[in-house]
Amino acid sequence: MTVHTVVGRQGLEFTPREYLRSGCLRAVLFALMWWTLTDGVMDSWLVGTPVILFATLASVVLLPPFSWSLLGLVRFVPFFLWRSLYGGVDVARRALQPRLPISPGLLDYRWRLPPGLPQVFMANIVSLLPGTLSVELGANCLQVHVLDERKDFLSELEKVEQRVAAIFGISLPLSRGGE
Amino acid sequence: MTPSDLLSAVLLIAGAAFFLAGTLGLLRFPDVYTRLHALTKADNVGLGLVVAGLAMQAESLAGAGKLLLIWLLVLLAGASVAHLVAAAARQRGIKLWRR
Repeated sequence: MTVHTVVGRQGLEFTPREYLRSGCLRAVLFALMWWTLTDGVMDSWLVGTPVILFATLASVVLLPPFSWSLLGLVRFVPFFLWRSLYGGVDVARRALQPRLPISPGLLDYRWRLPPGLPQVFMANIVSLLPGTLSVELGANCLQVHVLDERKDFLSELEKVEQRVAAIFGISLPLSRGGE
Repeated sequence: MTPSDLLSAVLLIAGAAFFLAGTLGLLRFPDVYTRLHALTKADNVGLGLVVAGLAMQAESLAGAGKLLLIWLLVLLAGASVAHLVAAAARQRGIKLWRR
């Protein structure tokens, strides 16, 4: 049974206006990146301007516009930084202890996120968070390798999924308890 | 030594400690999956701390931005490659170590 009752914009066609909007935003981001890379040297823009235009074009062709939320993104950053710091401390602690306190296992996490970018994004994030590693990105499930199967990773993953959904402006069906 | 130099040094040393712990994990953990845990997470934090320490010494905003960009790229590469290695190991039927 799939639970992809997603109230989002995924799968809908985007209008030329949305392409333009997304293209402009990405061009600004690429310009900022160019500025960073070249230390803002004026002469570099002679090369930079065509590069930025080409990068924007390639980006819009390869990754069509998608809905996202600035608030969701802003809220995600501190959560991610804090959890990934904890993830590093956790794995370092386990590696340093003489008796090697790990008890690995596999679990399948049933997706509530729609396929495509949101799922790929979450799979990558999961690998950087404490004790979890994405193994297989399946159609219905994300297979996750956990470092310590005694911990409750399901509710942890649900929280992460909720936060990722917020970035993409998606509302998820309510949590469905254990599997 | 100014307070910012001191903080920068503390961040750099802490970053190096995470790299050490990650490498220790790579050597001590029993199978490919658990080793990937050690690499991705400890190195990501280690590099994050090193980048933070270096950014404090950067001469310009662009210099600090460049460091941040490097960290983001390494995060992306680290997470994607860890996933690809784990998926390939699983497809080849490499069993996971269980206690």
